[in-house]
Amino acid sequence: MDLLEFARGPALQWAAYILVAGTIWRIVGIVLLEKKPDYSEPRKSGGYPAAIKVIWTRAFTAEPFAKATLYPKMMAYVMHIGLFAVIFLFTPHIVFFEGWTGFDWPGLPNSVIFFIGVATLVSGVALLVRRLTNPVLKLISNFDDYFSWFVTLLPVVTGLLIPVRALFRYEDLLAIHILSVALLLIWLPFGKLGHTFLVFVTRGTTGMVFERRGAKT
Amino acid sequence: MTTVDGRHTIDREAERIAYKPPEIRHDTQGDLSTEERVEHAMHHFVKNFNTQTASYLDGCLHCGMCADACHYHVRTDDPRYTPIWKIELFKQAYKREVGPFAFFYRLFGFKKKVTIKQLEEWQHLLYDSCTVCGRCSLVCPMGIDIAGMVSMARHGMFKAGLIPHELHETAKKAAETGSPLGVTAEKFEDRLEWMADEHDVEIPVDVEQADVLACMSSIEIQKYPESMAATARILNAAGESWTFRTDGFEATNFGMLSGNTEWQKEATLKLINAAVKIGAKTVVLPECGHAYMAMRWMGANMYGKPLPFKVLHISEYLADALNAGKIKVKKVDKSVTYHDPCQVSRRGGATKAARDVLKHLGVDHREMKYGGDYNWCCGGGGGVVTIKRADELRHRVFKLKMDQVEATEADELLSSCANCRQSFDDSQEHFGWKYKMGSLMEMVAENLEEDNS
Amino acid sequence: MKNKPTVGEILQAKGVSRRGFLKYCATTASLLALPPAMIPRIAKAIESARRPSVIWLSFQECTGCTESLTRSAAPTVEGLIFDAISLDYHHTLQAASGDQAEAARHAAMEENEGGYLVLVDGSIPMGNPGFSTIAGISNYDMLMETVAGAAAVVSIGTCAAFGGIPGANPNPTGAVSVGDLVKDKPIINVPGCPPIPMVMTAVLTQFLTFGQLPEVDKYGRPLAFFGQTIHDRCYRRPFYEQGKFANTFDDEGAKAGWCLYKLGCKGPTTYNACATVKWNQGTSFPIESGHPCLGCSEPDFWDKGGFYEPLSTGNFGSGAKVAGAAAAGVALGAVAAVAGRRRQAKYTKEA
Repeated sequence: MDLLEFARGPALQWAAYILVAGTIWRIVGIVLLEKKPDYSEPRKSGGYPAAIKVIWTRAFTAEPFAKATLYPKMMAYVMHIGLFAVIFLFTPHIVFFEGWTGFDWPGLPNSVIFFIGVATLVSGVALLVRRLTNPVLKLISNFDDYFSWFVTLLPVVTGLLIPVRALFRYEDLLAIHILSVALLLIWLPFGKLGHTFLVFVTRGTTGMVFERRGAKT
Repeated sequence: MTTVDGRHTIDREAERIAYKPPEIRHDTQGDLSTEERVEHAMHHFVKNFNTQTASYLDGCLHCGMCADACHYHVRTDDPRYTPIWKIELFKQAYKREVGPFAFFYRLFGFKKKVTIKQLEEWQHLLYDSCTVCGRCSLVCPMGIDIAGMVSMARHGMFKAGLIPHELHETAKKAAETGSPLGVTAEKFEDRLEWMADEHDVEIPVDVEQADVLACMSSIEIQKYPESMAATARILNAAGESWTFRTDGFEATNFGMLSGNTEWQKEATLKLINAAVKIGAKTVVLPECGHAYMAMRWMGANMYGKPLPFKVLHISEYLADALNAGKIKVKKVDKSVTYHDPCQVSRRGGATKAARDVLKHLGVDHREMKYGGDYNWCCGGGGGVVTIKRADELRHRVFKLKMDQVEATEADELLSSCANCRQSFDDSQEHFGWKYKMGSLMEMVAENLEEDNS
Repeated sequence: MKNKPTVGEILQAKGVSRRGFLKYCATTASLLALPPAMIPRIAKAIESARRPSVIWLSFQECTGCTESLTRSAAPTVEGLIFDAISLDYHHTLQAASGDQAEAARHAAMEENEGGYLVLVDGSIPMGNPGFSTIAGISNYDMLMETVAGAAAVVSIGTCAAFGGIPGANPNPTGAVSVGDLVKDKPIINVPGCPPIPMVMTAVLTQFLTFGQLPEVDKYGRPLAFFGQTIHDRCYRRPFYEQGKFANTFDDEGAKAGWCLYKLGCKGPTTYNACATVKWNQGTSFPIESGHPCLGCSEPDFWDKGGFYEPLSTGNFGSGAKVAGAAAAGVALGAVAAVAGRRRQAKYTKEA
């Protein structure tokens, strides 16, 4: 079994198992904690519609904060949209998902994806620089923040290197790329990257709690 | 019971203009050992972890945007005032003790036990530099309610005997006498009588059966007694069957602000019991922000079941009464800007009420830029106004509020919270500022068309 | 052996013109990535070379490799070069059989001790010597006996080079490659199923010309032919970059000649010269005919997923196992929540 086979086979499989188990572990571990009933008389109906509302609205910064948070917010948008595009709109990836789910959808030309990948990387680096220099972020950051940054951008870097044949053979880089994805999937449920699923739980919770008060969410 | 450490004494007379990072004075209460303090803090941190807080504490991305929403950080650039950092110990306790991966955090020592040194340091962050205004909760891309968790973290701090001296004294007085300012039932009655005479208004006290229970904040009773008369005139004009009760008049809740849940519950139940006793259908809360949070949103949970009456902030009551035509007001030819009390508007959801009232008053209402739900806090909420050592910092952050108010160029500044009013008055005096805060309710009372009814 | 004709003489006798011969030399030089200045040297070397003795051993194979070399429609210079070598043993092609054939092999080995080339096609069964024998001799014994006095070994085709189809899972005969058995001789792998004829002759030409074996990659393949992927040199590569793919064999994309990546083309991971040298006298290569590359020159190409499964397709494991992981997650989460609640209770008791 060569590296590529290992990456595409056992590495990816175990990563998937750990991803699924870890994600559910974390969500169940949170959901099964005590839940405090709220007896206060609601001003508005809260419930799941409120949760969904806040899950959507918190994707955007309220205008009063727009100026102060413009730079990190823009970088974060570029990074998130970029990650979305390179993960889901790159044809070889679509082919991968098609093989897995049976669905496929149109992708973007590879040259466009390459450009988006570079933009994603640049925004990621910009965010890291900010984390390393901004006093607030320096204070509140920990290992999780830096390691999560690393495992998120590693697949981007290895992916971008694949068409650059100078250093490695295609299948070696492909193997490294897939292994880096496996690392990302393995780490995802445990660290702050868990926000990929916790964002629904956390925003949803606030939506339900505050919307029933009629308070600003 | 409470001791002030000798290194930094309480100095009420010091200069309070130039900003320098406040020297942290750690106050302690009781004779607990260091270990006991840590244990108590941990116990009362841990008690608060449930699905809601867990989702918040697990969800933080460390993006730091909350710092941009916090008046303390904006005005000082001190990274320690980043809201999420203020609950770092709370988060640490969660990850180590209760979170889904707590076992590994303990096994590998990723999160250490909270230390006494940390707790002492965080006393300043959890009390002096947080008004629980919740502005940070609105900027958080994950929607984490940081302010709510500051209140919870205070539970641990209180039990560890590590809260600011003055706040502890105030809360203790509230628990012992029923009022943070020592207003006893007799004193309350005295002052009601005085106001009734002074303003020639009928003020029902201790009526056995009434539809509406009105209550007061001690700050109003002591500092702004006209509020009592204004409340009476409005409720009389509306033709309500109402009363004040000497066995339940205090709406403030310093138990909640200081972090003592038992005291919070006691104060809340006192009011609830009084309302139940007279068969009240509505409890009208005074112009006080945190009273609204304590009764409107937390009251039923302290009671353990839904409340048998409606809870209204006075601004809500006024809006309802004016909209329904129960009271009428004369038009006021002034320009007015309105300061939203955080606990009523942003966190309480009653933002619209005050605006309805202003509309009825016919004033030229000039909304502050980013007013309403995004309002800058007065800087005195969450019990901060009682903490003398935090004055310097409080005045510093008040600059944001001054700019916000001045930009409207309104004739008058109104609010609907005695606590805000108190901290505005203090800062106004400190800076010799031109705006003197007025009360929304008093403006309504002054302009009632009383012969109408 | 002393009076054997040179290759040049033989080519002349066969009617190959000087022009045709030099053209062959130039092509070979370019295939081998040699500078044009080397062309005369190649020509001279070939012309003056004595016919080297070559012993061709066929083990577990399909004769496709031999076919590839011999089935050319018109005689080619490459074919003639093969005529020019002294193919002293090739049991498919030779007239002799049985003891006579074996005697020829032994004679060639003795005469050219230390100087002959051994070409092997097919893999060697190690499961049971009886799986494949020639004249009663097991493949293994014949290989080891023959290579003992060889100058070098050339593994022709993927079976000899990597085990190939006989070695594919579950490998019932225990097939192994030449390289697995022969450790003390230089080995050149010329994989492919079959290999490109031109590549075979070019390797032999280089051996004739320089008396040495070409530079090879990590799989022992001549870098001159196996240094780049099919994908790198594919004429459909621009469609890949533009994201234009054929989704089925009969859709518009297929008709328009778009990239076959999604149809399972193994071009990106396959190192071979098909896209440049092409097949059938330079006519075309599989992708040009509308079929994705199977990756036949790569080790274990038969076992690397389906031929029509796109290359990046990884495997997230079976649904049952993922469901198992989910169940484990529920269990772990429940345990964590219970542990957390216990922790809370414990603190409540202590304080």
